[in-house]
Amino acid sequence: MKKSTPYLLLLPALLFTVFVLVYPLVQNLINSFSDVSMITGRSGWTGLKNYEHVFEDTLFWRSFRNTSVYAVVGTGVALVVGLAFALLLNLKLGKINTVMGCLYTIPWIISPVVAGFAWKWLLNDQFGVVNYWLASAGIVKHGTTWLGNPGTALICVMLARIWQFYPFAMVMFLAGLQSIPQEQYEAAAVDGATMVRRFFYITLPNLKTVSSVMLVLGVIWSFNDFNMVFVMTRGGPMNSSMVLPVLVREFSFVQFDLGKGSALSVVIFALLTTLSYLYLKMISRGEPT
Amino acid sequence: MKRPILMAFLLSISLLSCGKKSDDIVLQDWNFGGRPKLIEFLRQRVYSFEKLHPGIKVIQSDKSWNMIREILYADFSAGAGPDVMNTHSNFAAEFGEAGFYYPVNKFPDFEQVKQWYIPHLLESTRYKDNYYGLPSSAIAFVLCCNKELFDKEGIAPPKTWSQFREAAKRLTKDTDGDGVPDQFGLVLMGGDKGGFAYRMIPLFFKAGVNVMSDDLKKIEFNSPMGVAALKLIADMYQVDHSITPGFLAYTHSEINDLFCSNKAAMSIEGPWFRGMVGDKSPGKDMYVVSVPVPDNMIAQYDTAPTLQDMVMYSINARSKHLKEAWELLKHLRNEEADMFWITQDLGATATTKSALNSREAQSVNDLQLYINELNHARPWPPHPQMIAIASNIFTPYCQRAVVGELSPKAALDQAAREAQELVDAKK
Repeated sequence: MKKSTPYLLLLPALLFTVFVLVYPLVQNLINSFSDVSMITGRSGWTGLKNYEHVFEDTLFWRSFRNTSVYAVVGTGVALVVGLAFALLLNLKLGKINTVMGCLYTIPWIISPVVAGFAWKWLLNDQFGVVNYWLASAGIVKHGTTWLGNPGTALICVMLARIWQFYPFAMVMFLAGLQSIPQEQYEAAAVDGATMVRRFFYITLPNLKTVSSVMLVLGVIWSFNDFNMVFVMTRGGPMNSSMVLPVLVREFSFVQFDLGKGSALSVVIFALLTTLSYLYLKMISRGEPT
Repeated sequence: MKRPILMAFLLSISLLSCGKKSDDIVLQDWNFGGRPKLIEFLRQRVYSFEKLHPGIKVIQSDKSWNMIREILYADFSAGAGPDVMNTHSNFAAEFGEAGFYYPVNKFPDFEQVKQWYIPHLLESTRYKDNYYGLPSSAIAFVLCCNKELFDKEGIAPPKTWSQFREAAKRLTKDTDGDGVPDQFGLVLMGGDKGGFAYRMIPLFFKAGVNVMSDDLKKIEFNSPMGVAALKLIADMYQVDHSITPGFLAYTHSEINDLFCSNKAAMSIEGPWFRGMVGDKSPGKDMYVVSVPVPDNMIAQYDTAPTLQDMVMYSINARSKHLKEAWELLKHLRNEEADMFWITQDLGATATTKSALNSREAQSVNDLQLYINELNHARPWPPHPQMIAIASNIFTPYCQRAVVGELSPKAALDQAAREAQELVDAKK
């Protein structure tokens, strides 16, 4: 084999990466420092002006707060729910486990757009099943507004996100649970440890790595999540559920300020790169930082 | 081993090169939005065009109406985009000024083609000295009233703001006796920024409010009557509770469902609404009337302007086949094609003189009302920033006023200030 053959074989993948990843990234970075319009193209450098505009915009800070809540709280709750289901599936109840395992993973395999539309209808104030059940149980009044209420819209979108993310957490936790050595539980049982103590002193410490990795991964994915919010609320009502990825679209394709949209993309990219670095460190060490 | 692979490769190359290169001219036609019936009609039209012009092939793509601006901007700015497309006529200013649309008045037979159309409708496709498309269908915003609910209550469709407010109040009811209203007087489209603006502005126009001055230099929607129009809706929501509480999340489908299931009595809509309701709930009837006017303007009820919108077909200025695109445009929009708006109830109003004056037109539901409204209606001002102002400034501030976060005056004043900044920056 010639010395150059491996490089030649790698070339198509390299070219593909350059065109679909490196070029857009560099172009976006250039745009973020430029006065750029979709109509007239790039008309000059503006330095940090686009970044200033982003940080001066109150909508950015509102979206940043929403995104942080959406990502951190949403992922945290999804992990708790995922762990609960993983513990149930780990009870080894025979075929029921297989059936339930399949059922629980359905939300994960549904397209986020389809899931978003389904949740939109479930939460509809007049025809939604959620309102019907809650009103029948006397918990809320019939016709309660969820997605049309600035106070509840973000919570509803988070609920849908949790519903979609928990199966992934469940599968990962189940794998983690099954790798815990049985001897540890047996020794604890001999020492007379209760089920609760075994959970807190054996199960949870053994799941620390997988929990940390899942938390970072979940936050990264949620931080980047456009579909669910866009389909369910488009960031409304009155920007109450606006998150950063939807705001990028708003700046770039609604306000047609590509420079500002690019600057915001770079800010998100920097945030996610930091989180990804944490994730990679965890993976490489095999333990949480 | 190497030889058979080489032979196979050479054979494939030679087979590929044997294929005759097609000399057909290929036109891209992008159709945004439309009910299935309209899309089917357009396909038939393209098919008949291809039969008439054997050397031209048309590739028709259907795209989302909601993403129209984003899709076209992205494509145009990349130097791409279709040869022919349908858009809002108020894009003439924005895309015409940007040089994205080709001025169709440059075609030698334009003066003849111009004669097909109702003059003031054709004017909506004009920006400065150029026409940037041919009218496809006209829309006047009207008030659609749920006939079943109005008849049951024994009230007539409202003509004035007081009657409008009173009717909405009377039609807001708790029908199942659980102490919570489940039928509302009015439904608004709050989940779509553009859609909301299009349903608010008719009330402003009917009250004689201008969005901008005639010279397009000054924002004027925050006039006292503009504030009064917004206050009317805010009071209906906050005081009377006669507007559906969840309106901020509603788009077309929710409004249609509420209307069809008798949970909403009124909605400000266009001519597509009867068809949409009919598709979902066959036989469901409605009163279609003019949008109400302020009480002191009752004498102008039939002549006060509503919002006119129009869909037009345009040509991409960068098309390599301008002449052929023009031929396609004419075929899609000639008098024969326009008759389908009359005979097939496609969800808007025809725009040619011959179609509107035809015998068949006499039997079209509400057509006389729409023609009358269109005779007086006004489009959004032809300012290149108008769409951005309506969607990103006017709508959010009006919504804040409706739900009570701001007073109507404060909301409109603030919106006017921001809109003026945008207009001044453009200058």
